[in-house]
Amino acid sequence: MTIKHHPPEEFLAGFAAGRLDQAEHIVIAAHVSMCARCRRFVGAFERFGGTVLETVKPAALAAGAFEAVMARIDGGEAAPTAPAVARPRRADDTGLPKVLDLYEIGRVRRIAPGLSMRPIVIPGGGKSRAFLLRSEPGSRMLEHTHTETELTCVLEGSFSHEGGYFGPGDFDIGDNTIEHRPVVGADMPCVCLVAMSGKLRINGFLGRLIEPFIRL
Amino acid sequence: MAVLLQRRILGHGGRSGSLAKRWPRVKERPEIAVDWVGLISEIALRRDRGAYRRLFEFFAPRIKGYLMRTGTSEAEAEEIAQEAMITLWRKADKFDPATSGAVAWIFTITRNLRIDALRKGRRTERVLQDVEAEYRPEPVESTETAYSRSQEAGHVELALQRLSAQQSEIIRLSFLEERPHSEIAELLGIPLGTVKSRIRLAMNRLRELLDASK
Repeated sequence: MTIKHHPPEEFLAGFAAGRLDQAEHIVIAAHVSMCARCRRFVGAFERFGGTVLETVKPAALAAGAFEAVMARIDGGEAAPTAPAVARPRRADDTGLPKVLDLYEIGRVRRIAPGLSMRPIVIPGGGKSRAFLLRSEPGSRMLEHTHTETELTCVLEGSFSHEGGYFGPGDFDIGDNTIEHRPVVGADMPCVCLVAMSGKLRINGFLGRLIEPFIRL
Repeated sequence: MAVLLQRRILGHGGRSGSLAKRWPRVKERPEIAVDWVGLISEIALRRDRGAYRRLFEFFAPRIKGYLMRTGTSEAEAEEIAQEAMITLWRKADKFDPATSGAVAWIFTITRNLRIDALRKGRRTERVLQDVEAEYRPEPVESTETAYSRSQEAGHVELALQRLSAQQSEIIRLSFLEERPHSEIAELLGIPLGTVKSRIRLAMNRLRELLDASK
């Protein structure tokens, strides 16, 4: 797998520092899990974070904090158990990145002929939504722009637009300065993990999404 | 296993004066050379409380200080710092010195607990989420040897050292201390546009250095 398109470094840095919006965090995690180059960048950033931690101005803990911590350790306070992830897996879930094992994925919703999506359930929400977008081979979108930022990681299949060819692992970012007219590869369906920010409600957003799609 | 500890005099008290002094550049390591990895393995191997106490005394206040610096309330910073230290005790045997340095590992523990706290604050029902697993989504490839991982760590360390002081500073202020660009501009006495371009250049430079050290 040759990955040619990577996230802007600011997103990798934000991911490593733990300050991304959760939907964006998931998409970056998916890319990083497939991309050794970006894993290295994130690893470097974590090291950098360690150095910052080492040199930051300390803030004294509450009196007796050490004893309190030892008491909690000795008390055998229930160790955090691995979360029981009870997400119903579907037969076609096999190719999904592991990060999605930690999330519940909603039901398939058809958006337009040849186009469907499954929302990633983010408890408590966030400023962005995340979803899986599946389009049939050869689908084409009309030229469109995004009102806000859209992060995409290709999981399966491919699409192409003015920015180039995007295959598995490739990362694409769209915003209001970029005009897109993606065409899905003809050989197989394209499955992408997408994080999209915007203030529109989900219905309005879907409506907007349906419009630019036609099936060829 | 004999663990060698070299400890010089701690040089931390009484920082004052200019901001630059209070927030030393990342390259200026603290005047201390403690074998953190050795201390962590003492905990892993024999639950050594003396080793733990030393880690606690150094890191707990720094974790709290770091969190407060990024806008976490004092009460929450205290709670996360304690949680982080408990996690350190419990996961000491999972720490792999070949993969990341001790301080990077402690940083990731802190970061993950902070993310978890932020998410907990938002959600109405309690849903457990394994933040750590989100950062380690794939198992380490079995063909990867400890040697190649430590070599990789060496490359990364070298790349970080080759960043200029100015580049390290802008990365720290922007991404780790999470200061808004306007505040960084004021702090460094440079225009807002320069802050943005410096961040971009620093990011490019880091990527370049990491790509070059293959």
